[in-house]
Amino acid sequence: MQSISGFEPVWVSHASAILPDLDAVILPGGFSYGDYLRTGAISAQTPVIRAIRTFSEEGKPVLGICNGFQILAEARLLPGALLVNSSRSFICEETPLLVQSTGTPFTALLPEGTRLSLPIAHQEGRYFLQENELRELEQNGQVVFRYLSNPNGSVHDIAGIANRSGNVVGLMPHPERRTRSTSPGSDGLLLFESLLVSLLHRHPDTDKPKSPELSWANSRS
Amino acid sequence: MTTAASRFRIPASEMEMIQRLIGREPTLTEEAIFSAMWSEHCSYKSSKVHLRSFSSSHPRVQAGPGENAGIVHIREGICLAFKMESHNHPSFLEPFQGAATGVGGILRDVIAMGARPVALANSLVFGSLRHPRHRTLFRRVVEGIAGYGNPIGIPTVGGEVWFDDRYKDNILVNVMAVGVVMDHSIMSAKASREGLQAIYIGNRTGRDGVSGAAMASRGFSSDGGDLRPQVQIADPYAGKNLMEATLEIARLRLADSIQDMGAAGLTSSSTEMAGRSGLGMEIDVSGVPLRDFSMEPWEILLSESQERMLVLSVPENVEKIREIATNWHLSSAVVGHTIPKPNFIVRKGDQVLADLPISHLTEDAPLYNRPGQTEATGRSLSASPSLSGTHSLSDIFHRMLDHPNGGSSRWIYRHFDFEVQTRTVFGPGHDAAVLDMKDPKRTGVALSVVSLPHACSRDPYLGGALLVSKAVTELAAVGAFPLAMTDCLNFGNPENPLIMGSFQNAVRGIAEAGIALDIPVISGNVSLYNETNGTSIPPTPMIGITGLLPSIRNRIPGQIPAPGLRIAIVGQSRNLALGGSYLDWILEEEIQDSVPAPRYDDLKKLTSFMMTAAHSRRIASARAIGRGGLLRSLLLMVAHDPSLGAFLDFSPAVDPLPFFFSESPGRLLVAYPPDEESSLLETAHEWGVPFRSTGYAARNVWILRYQDMEGTRKEWTESLPGIKHRFQAALSQFMEELP
Repeated sequence: MQSISGFEPVWVSHASAILPDLDAVILPGGFSYGDYLRTGAISAQTPVIRAIRTFSEEGKPVLGICNGFQILAEARLLPGALLVNSSRSFICEETPLLVQSTGTPFTALLPEGTRLSLPIAHQEGRYFLQENELRELEQNGQVVFRYLSNPNGSVHDIAGIANRSGNVVGLMPHPERRTRSTSPGSDGLLLFESLLVSLLHRHPDTDKPKSPELSWANSRS
Repeated sequence: MTTAASRFRIPASEMEMIQRLIGREPTLTEEAIFSAMWSEHCSYKSSKVHLRSFSSSHPRVQAGPGENAGIVHIREGICLAFKMESHNHPSFLEPFQGAATGVGGILRDVIAMGARPVALANSLVFGSLRHPRHRTLFRRVVEGIAGYGNPIGIPTVGGEVWFDDRYKDNILVNVMAVGVVMDHSIMSAKASREGLQAIYIGNRTGRDGVSGAAMASRGFSSDGGDLRPQVQIADPYAGKNLMEATLEIARLRLADSIQDMGAAGLTSSSTEMAGRSGLGMEIDVSGVPLRDFSMEPWEILLSESQERMLVLSVPENVEKIREIATNWHLSSAVVGHTIPKPNFIVRKGDQVLADLPISHLTEDAPLYNRPGQTEATGRSLSASPSLSGTHSLSDIFHRMLDHPNGGSSRWIYRHFDFEVQTRTVFGPGHDAAVLDMKDPKRTGVALSVVSLPHACSRDPYLGGALLVSKAVTELAAVGAFPLAMTDCLNFGNPENPLIMGSFQNAVRGIAEAGIALDIPVISGNVSLYNETNGTSIPPTPMIGITGLLPSIRNRIPGQIPAPGLRIAIVGQSRNLALGGSYLDWILEEEIQDSVPAPRYDDLKKLTSFMMTAAHSRRIASARAIGRGGLLRSLLLMVAHDPSLGAFLDFSPAVDPLPFFFSESPGRLLVAYPPDEESSLLETAHEWGVPFRSTGYAARNVWILRYQDMEGTRKEWTESLPGIKHRFQAALSQFMEELP
């Protein structure tokens, strides 16, 4: 990440109850605790999640990718749940998406309606929320990414959402897999560049903000 | 001396050998140890003599056969560790766990060398998908591979599949793992001295997989009862923790040596580690962490419970190693130590249960030079096919695409997380996978896995040679030259001279090709007794070859990016024999051709030409002419874009069947911008490689013009959506999710 976007990542253990001085938190994909019990359920109970909750309540940016999204949902930092894909199988493939909200630190450079191509790689990615809450989510503009050809049966084709204030974002597709010159595309870089721009905007006197990547006992994206 | 019937199914002749060696009756524990260590799976007793013809000598080789995995140097301190292994027997009994533990096992072999795994690949063979049982086996094997590879975070980047009823009672599941290790972190499985502590780390030991090695060394029979308890159970979360703990121990140089507790578990790891340096090992089974405290000592010794490693270290480091294990939520215990007397001593507290010279278990294990006999093919080797007229070319092409063997394998690789770790540059669906090493020089590593069940069944010797040649052709297509090879040799019952003969011939074919092409064999595995009720599988060796791209920027993709690019056939077309080809299989051997013999000099020239062309970046796309021949390979180059097709015009007269359907190695299709043609022709001429421009990529058409041997001009067109639909649906139509 450092070499590509200029961020300085710091790995933080799942057991830390206190975060170092960070500008943003990214929960990467993986299979934390082997996905045993339920995806993200055990990780959501780790000490670091309490610290991230406090961090997010200060309005600072938090991004959950794939398993990171599942953890944020289990921790109730984001609404809804990620269920087993409607095909009941693991799906790894490139998927087109539409950006639906520009009001998050991760989509600041992406006008509404921007089409992105990112890969998904999950077995439990079917976003679900009760009808009344779903209506509220839509009304508040909390849907950040929508699938163009829904691969997993998510309600309202939802691929990614934000919390009410927009600083916590979770998505099932993997932007970090589309950031390198050797990857099939580089659309994912736009999310990290958006973060950079948002952070620079927030800290006008620092030209190189620090930003961490969190480590999980068993995740690696 | 009388021969007692073995409680562990050791043959009577071998029981006699044991009694002669030790001069007494073995104890129950000793007999159990012999049953595992003398099993075909551990001792290679039928194959060892022949495997000596493989050459592993090459300046790049850092570790060869005999270690957990082979290691080859790639550049400035960076090495690759890799190996291929079969999990055929367990996968047939319990496909999900069998395949998952196959992946776990091969990963631990690479990890034990201190290498971090960066890629997995597989080669799978099943019976026809018309049988519901094989649809289930196939689905569960694919899910099992995904069920271990995905959670542990290692991308499955490539593979291949073949469906053939000759395998309806014995499926083949071969997996390969590749890891990266720095020179100074390479571990060994050889104990360096006496007084080392043997530390067990990982999951607790249970009854799963007891005697798995012995089970995998026999055929199946209908009265064999339920063998499922001999299949191990995978725990990818513990496997991930064990991987991180082992790599931490290796990185901190805390261990003297490390070995995976794989086949024959604690027994083979402890005896082999000590035996490699002429030392002995004393084990106390009462120290082994158990899941079930009622386990007998012999069960503890033979258990193949997964996710376990044996680490040898000096006493000072024991505490630190155990602390690392605890941090990764793993059990650990000191279970023994190396001793000067070269014996394997097993105790339970004060009670000695076994005391055997290790040499009796390893060097003195029976070695069979079983008689081999070459099967007469019963075919004329010179007759050429004259089938035009009896089959229309279009019909043949459709039949090839309609069968799962000729269709897209997307249904399979959609289950695999092939991009985790963000190194995958070319994933499944390419001739060879390509990985970004993320080093300052931007090195790329390519990986090709090849089996040719039909060609090997027609002629094991030429089939073996073809495997290597095909892999080299596939590596050339992406712009890589070959580094080193691993193999997995799947055969039937070696006591049958015809099968032993085919084994010897296949080994000879692979070994000769490896030597001719300068590709060392650095690791491998043999799976014999793939038979059921006396019927064996056809000879099915599989190989994996790694290749190097000096700069990842010069990689050549397998898809044609745009219409208007010119297409050429590159490489020698002197011998287009159809024997053993997919066409031969589809037509059920109406073809009298022999299997084509590879020409190694031509292959070397082809690699040199492609490396040169890749370096100057004149080629936009390339693909080996592989399964199904020229046209199916062309279809693979345009399959990604629904409206992309081709217009080809072959000017000199051609014999249609061999021309369109031969799989003779050393031929590629390349696509390039028209203005590069003259310089490509020049480079091809310099390397002595035939280069025949034949047409271009075009939108919405599939037109082939040629002149047959009678001089008649022909035009063959296909509906582009039609052939693309056949290709996409062939496999997935069998595997659609049921309501």
